[in-house]
Amino acid sequence: MFLFMKQHEFVPQVPYGTRDFLPREASQKRAVEGALAQLFANWGYDEVVTPTIEYLETMTVGVGNDLDQHMFKFFDKNNRILALRPDMTTPMARVAATRFKGSPSPMKLFYITNVFRYEQAQAGRQCEFYQAGVEIMGASEPAADAEVIALAVESMLKSGLQKFQIGLGQVDFINGIMEQSELSLVQRQQIKHAMVTRDLVGLGEILVKSGLSQSDQTLLKHIPLLHGREDMLKQAYSMVTNDKSRRALDNLANIYHLLENYGVSQYVDFDLGIIRDFEYYTGMVFEGYTPGLGFPICGGGRYDTMLNSFGMNCGATGFALGIERVLLALERQGIDGTQNCKGIYIGWNKENLVKAIKQADTLRDSGCSVELAVIPESCAQAKESQKSKGYEKLVYVE
Amino acid sequence: MTSSDMDYLTIALPKGKLFAPSAEMLAKVGCTAEDLSENSRKLVITNEKEKLHFIITKTADLPTYIEYGAADIGIIGKDVLLEEEKDLYELLDLRFGLCRMMVAVPEALKREKLSDYAHMRVATKYPRIAESYFHSMGIQMEFIKLNGSIELAPMVGLAEIIVDLVETGRTLKANNLLEVATIQPVTARFIANRVSFKLKFDRINRITEELRTLLEGVVTL
Repeated sequence: MFLFMKQHEFVPQVPYGTRDFLPREASQKRAVEGALAQLFANWGYDEVVTPTIEYLETMTVGVGNDLDQHMFKFFDKNNRILALRPDMTTPMARVAATRFKGSPSPMKLFYITNVFRYEQAQAGRQCEFYQAGVEIMGASEPAADAEVIALAVESMLKSGLQKFQIGLGQVDFINGIMEQSELSLVQRQQIKHAMVTRDLVGLGEILVKSGLSQSDQTLLKHIPLLHGREDMLKQAYSMVTNDKSRRALDNLANIYHLLENYGVSQYVDFDLGIIRDFEYYTGMVFEGYTPGLGFPICGGGRYDTMLNSFGMNCGATGFALGIERVLLALERQGIDGTQNCKGIYIGWNKENLVKAIKQADTLRDSGCSVELAVIPESCAQAKESQKSKGYEKLVYVE
Repeated sequence: MTSSDMDYLTIALPKGKLFAPSAEMLAKVGCTAEDLSENSRKLVITNEKEKLHFIITKTADLPTYIEYGAADIGIIGKDVLLEEEKDLYELLDLRFGLCRMMVAVPEALKREKLSDYAHMRVATKYPRIAESYFHSMGIQMEFIKLNGSIELAPMVGLAEIIVDLVETGRTLKANNLLEVATIQPVTARFIANRVSFKLKFDRINRITEELRTLLEGVVTL
């Protein structure tokens, strides 16, 4: 680290996994976030802002232990453990269960904000990153799930993405199969872990040792490959006999039917192999993918028990979209969401500042974006400034 | 050329020992290119007709290419997957390249139990695997990461123990090293990027099934 450092030169760094958004990136981020905020408002969602820091005990209520080791933690003055929020679903559930008690149900809320997770940083995956998302709290019907998925599709379209696909699954399909079988708790955890880590070879090895019947082994091994359109659902239906799995499939069919009416079903595939990494999901789950991005761009699902752990008994569903991932995908797919042109630069020579201010005022009122020089310039200097700052036009006041 | 091109499938192959059997196996299921060779000057080898790109990478880097989606699918040893801990699909055990990850000590240092080696120095190319193995046994060790010739470390007093990948054990014998524990067997794996596996599912799944059929044929013979 010191190897390349010049003596007496101090180069301040930002902490691991954080980044600056320079003007171009910041304006793209703002454009995407603005479009999303507008979209969510149009769909009748209200924005909520929650604290960046929460008590650790609040954050672990819903998230479970998996995320615990990925949280940034520290102490307050009274030695209580604080954490930077690792996702927004838990704070939203806390708000709904405490501040909105007795409000008309369901509640439709949205957020656009930063969250923090300690992980190996890479492109599109920093320790601090931005998410936009919605939650419907107080609704257990497929209509709510369908709305969330339709809104996820609209979000990606509004962000400027054209090519993407949503994989839709349901955790109960797998749970039903496992409950019906005679697997021990440990074995179930092993199987789930293999599925979550996408280790299909490991999954096969666990199943061979599990003592399950050949047909059950084949079925479980097949789950990560159950991928397709409506005919796949029918196929899956004939593969299982338990109620829970079948209800899961019926639920997916209902949601899909509604998505057809939203006119977004062409973006949606069924994928029964999706198990989101968060433990809190209880019903349908989905992930969005776009070419050129090696990890999902958005994800969400139903989490009916989380509000319960905050003392409010009602169903909830929602999704979150990674803002940096959207920006990265737009860039990789060669889509530029913002105008590069910066408007007008006003230069002025000595004693004409007052005139220039008036001029800037008029132009700004008419909707132009205008930068006013702060020091007097010659016409040639002003031209140079306009060019180097990237303004489309120059107004020179003399 | 990236995996954002939906028409093409990008396949990553590792340099070294696994290259030849990997290329051969993929060729059997129709995934090959005319000038596909480990010594190719070209960095990306393309088969226009089959819409395939091939890239050849250093073994330790291969999972990174897959995780980022720079390549859609690839073949790599389980040892590298265990060490790199990347987020990707491990689709198939291809059963070739069989080796084992093991613990060895110089004959003179042999003790009764593994826990008798506690707090000694372990030289290895695989610090993560070594650490998680000893950790799972409740034994604390000091780990020294080396990039090759691991057997040398105990001979010159850099470490007492080694964790390494061995195929036959001949090198161990030649250096008076004794295998004291097997961590796990290791073979070549067929892997895929998690998004490619969804967006290019039909194509990747077809190749997986063809490889599976090929492997099952080998067993019944």
